[in-house]
Amino acid sequence: MTEVKLGIGYDEFEDGQRIGTEIEKLSSSPESTSISSLIIGDWGQAYENSSEEVVDALVKYSASFPALRKLFIGEMGFEECEISWITQSDLSALLPTFPELQSLTIQGGNELSLSQLHHDKLEELIIISGGLGKGVLENIATGRLPNLRKLELYLGVDNYGFDGSVDDIFPIIQPGKFPKLTYLGLKNSEIQDEIAEAIADAPILNQLETLDLSLGTLSDKGGEALLASDRIKGLKALNLSHHYMSDEMMERWRKSGLPVDVSDKQESEDGDDWRYPSITE
Amino acid sequence: MGMTGAILPSQSDALLRPLIVIGNPGDRRTGGIQEARSNLGLTPAIIIPYAGLLAGQSLAELSLSLPDEASVDLRTAPPLLRLESPGGSFENERALIMLGAPDAEDMDDSLHPYGDHPDPHPLSVKTAGQLRDLQGVLHHPSQWFRGYCRMLARLKREATEACPGSVWLNDPADIANMTDKRRTQQILAETGISIPRPLGEEMKPTDYTSLRESMLTERMHRIFIKLACGSAASGLIAYQINPVTGAEVALTTVGVEHYITRPPIYYNSGKLRRYTDTATISGIIDWLYRHGAYAEQWIPKLGHGARSFDIRQLVVYGEACHSIARVSSTPITNLHLRSQRMSPTEAGLSEHIQEQVRDTAVHALAAFPNSGIAGIDVLVSGSSQRCFVVDVNPFGDLLYEVKYHGCSTYEWEMKVLFARDYIAKPPTPPVAQEGSA
Repeated sequence: MTEVKLGIGYDEFEDGQRIGTEIEKLSSSPESTSISSLIIGDWGQAYENSSEEVVDALVKYSASFPALRKLFIGEMGFEECEISWITQSDLSALLPTFPELQSLTIQGGNELSLSQLHHDKLEELIIISGGLGKGVLENIATGRLPNLRKLELYLGVDNYGFDGSVDDIFPIIQPGKFPKLTYLGLKNSEIQDEIAEAIADAPILNQLETLDLSLGTLSDKGGEALLASDRIKGLKALNLSHHYMSDEMMERWRKSGLPVDVSDKQESEDGDDWRYPSITE
Repeated sequence: MGMTGAILPSQSDALLRPLIVIGNPGDRRTGGIQEARSNLGLTPAIIIPYAGLLAGQSLAELSLSLPDEASVDLRTAPPLLRLESPGGSFENERALIMLGAPDAEDMDDSLHPYGDHPDPHPLSVKTAGQLRDLQGVLHHPSQWFRGYCRMLARLKREATEACPGSVWLNDPADIANMTDKRRTQQILAETGISIPRPLGEEMKPTDYTSLRESMLTERMHRIFIKLACGSAASGLIAYQINPVTGAEVALTTVGVEHYITRPPIYYNSGKLRRYTDTATISGIIDWLYRHGAYAEQWIPKLGHGARSFDIRQLVVYGEACHSIARVSSTPITNLHLRSQRMSPTEAGLSEHIQEQVRDTAVHALAAFPNSGIAGIDVLVSGSSQRCFVVDVNPFGDLLYEVKYHGCSTYEWEMKVLFARDYIAKPPTPPVAQEGSA
């Protein structure tokens, strides 16, 4: 596997370097045809400039990347840009451009859209954000990804763009929607309890191997709903790490004998009820 | 790397220059020095407590008032003089704020790099003397620094008078310059050392409003703001603005307590806080600028997994020695609570870049020709892999569990002083110099 990461630092951007040009350069290099994984980092002040240039360039030069199977748009850390400030764009044009793509990871939810989410071979869709808009949830609900095995959504908080509710989640977890789905992550949410309650007895659990509700504000309320469910007993892994459940609840999980991860217990601050998901920024 | 205790030949005390350390007796710094000297077979350093100096006793008086076995006549044995950090004691802090008062007896501001800038709402000696110890509260940073510079000036005078021929390991004037980040970075830049680009090269910001203006006009949307005389993470903000939405985020350990009838109190919180509201952010930034602040470009640091790090590189008399990577999941690496210490190699830094870090650090200290020992904070840019100096710490050698040629930081310093004949010429040919450079 050949993996390449492209990115433009602050100074490079100020000096006139552009991500489009970098992608063009890469496309004309001899290694381009063997690249199976491409990571696009900061495209230059991503809080100010959207990923549109990335999409345009990848579409334009796609023929040079026949081996591409894995794509990450927006891999950047706190040293480069606030995750909740990363400006994305409509990335759907990438899908027909790379019909052999298997994995797409997107970081940043601002202005993100996947208006035409159709792909026959995509197995993995991961969206990391401080707040995912319900527009994107709707895109996913109306999308067609028959081969999708892993769907991981960092839902975030309303302050950073999460404007949905559990009602926007239901259409995504209808059985038959993603027939091959075995890994479902609905995580990093400030309504983690509601999500846990909504999914605890959902038929989709029958097809899942892993349910990932980590990094959010899960408390005893959500924990109780999950424990009461028979459907979760068929899971091979239940990830509830980074949570606000009580010691008693954690003990009940331990006694359940289920393959559950209840690590990284969070403490509410100063005894007040303010809790926050992991990526809120 | 054998036992370091064997390398110094035993000698009679008369041949040795005494080492006088001005510090806090019994703390980890003075304790570390004594331990190192004992391990190396050297006589203990003479510890002169800050408390005595700040109570008004002179260097000479204090040297003579020591217990008989430690008492020393400074005129006959010109000592090495070493200043330690005055931190860690509220009494010292209060006494220094009193020294910095506008009605203090000694008004020698000659070592203060910006001595003519007035301090905001200065406290009289009497008012300063009534300050109470409140956990973490930053009482009056600029007046503290003025007092500190006055004390440094006084020590320098007294040493010249009381012990001619004495040698400062770090000159008090340099310590004043290293403690004021505005001056430190200016000196480094003038010497050609790479530093993060300062904000406001044309027009220095003076408050929140002018800072934001500079950030927008200079297109420097991500910066670090530092209290000019703060140490470690004290008064440090990682600040960014979104030029499109106008949003802002400040990551800092500065906490605020608000009151109805009097101005807010600013304190160092044990944990990193995240502010996004303009009222709080502008309050903190305005307060920092009233006490003197410095702002520079936030250069994305090299990462170690999902974390990033910078390097504390100790330099002792022209040679880079102990170093640690401070790895943090936040942009503020000099927070003990939140960052993990590891060796630069463990952090993934190549030998080639480590060499550049050492070289950068050695040159940075050379910009202060009258100082021999400092911990230089060097960051490596994640994109260009270039080294930048972000801080020079005159007391930056309190590094635990790091060895260089088998020595602790203090042992190494004593060995270097000895090797350079600062302590004494060995009376016999030196015993095998195990492991030394």
